[in-house]
Amino acid sequence: MTLKLIIGNKNYSSWSFRPWIGLRAASIAFDEEVIPLYDDGSKEQILARSPGGKVPILIDGDVKVWESLAILEYAAEKFPAAQLWPADAAARAHARAVATEMHAGFVALRGECGMNMWRPVAKKELSADAKANIARVAEIWTDARRRFGAGGPFLFGRFCAADAMFAPVVSRFETYAIDVSAPVRAYMQAMIALPAWQEWRRAALNETWVIPKFEESYPNVQRLKA
Amino acid sequence: MKLVIGNKNYSSWSLRPWIAMKALGIAFEEIVIPFGEPIGNPEFKAKLAAYTPAGKVPVLIDGETRVWETLAILEYLAERFPAKQLWPADVQARAAARVLASEMHAGFSALRGECPMNIRRPIKPRAISAAAQADVARIEAMWKEARARHGGPFLFGKFSAADAMYAPVVTRLNTYGINISRDTRDYMDAVMALPAFAEWRAAAIAETWIVPEDEADWPTVLTA
Repeated sequence: MTLKLIIGNKNYSSWSFRPWIGLRAASIAFDEEVIPLYDDGSKEQILARSPGGKVPILIDGDVKVWESLAILEYAAEKFPAAQLWPADAAARAHARAVATEMHAGFVALRGECGMNMWRPVAKKELSADAKANIARVAEIWTDARRRFGAGGPFLFGRFCAADAMFAPVVSRFETYAIDVSAPVRAYMQAMIALPAWQEWRRAALNETWVIPKFEESYPNVQRLKA
Repeated sequence: MKLVIGNKNYSSWSLRPWIAMKALGIAFEEIVIPFGEPIGNPEFKAKLAAYTPAGKVPVLIDGETRVWETLAILEYLAERFPAKQLWPADVQARAAARVLASEMHAGFSALRGECPMNIRRPIKPRAISAAAQADVARIEAMWKEARARHGGPFLFGKFSAADAMYAPVVTRLNTYGINISRDTRDYMDAVMALPAFAEWRAAAIAETWIVPEDEADWPTVLTA
């Protein structure tokens, strides 16, 4: 039976993007179901599928998994050949540490720079907390690339679950024109060049659901064209 | 193997891997770095910087490998000590255990903010917001479902990493006299009856450091 991933809007749902790009970039087949968030009945639709009440949700027969990190761990176990985590134990431990740091952290950055793929690239005034988050993210990326990244352009060489966890942050850095170093820019470019990224972005830009609270100048919504 | 932790009275994140290792019989030395004050002061940061770039406890040190973030530490231990079964053996139960652990790792911020872990504080009810009550309701529902499905006394039968993740929540519900169901109380009793829990608690109560940010009744500091 094919896996099914239930996700929110591709334009806005950063948590949905993580397992989606993790599975897609690793060539793990799945069907997707999109539930537009903050819409009439969307909460009920999600609760009907998972008691967690949040997307994303992975359904594999009788098994229902929610929480992005738990989904990635589940897929890593089910598809060992896809190597969702690095093969080396030390690299794997590091990958999980930074993936987990992402899972629970960077609250200021997430709050101030919501993922919004169709937003035209432009800078925004940021708080000191968000700037500290940005510095830590850049440090995580640079450090992982330097220590473990020799085998490819991603954090641990080839694309892994840690990259999937940071994919929406790459999108935010891009959208909000965050100043970055050359190595960080190179990492972002590798991520954005992924066919999986391009596929998600195209679909996001073609969506018609606008969520007012995620648009800075609502009701004026400026959109990049797909 | 070494585990770098903060104050036992207050550091809920430190309790998680600590109780997992103790309860499952994984030997380690502990290094306590007191938080000092205010939270995030330069002395604490400087001491911790020797162990982790992330600036937070706990940190696990295994030879050259340093792992931070509680959940990453638990995953590391699960791989390193497969015989200890940090996660349930059954695939479906393991997926469910990771879901619970992940929900804890990133969620319940209202409850965590209003009811900081404070082991020495005598049990005294505290009024909590609707958001914190919703957190409690969600936690109770998850615990009940897991224990009903897997038979208890712990979330997935025997003690697992999921229980380690919720150990500080058990102390919070207890300390702040939160209204809970009989079923929740049974689970809390099972966790608090662990020798590992008693050992942590005794050490926490023996500490003399006070962290105002984590004293819900500040400037009053309730002690037994």
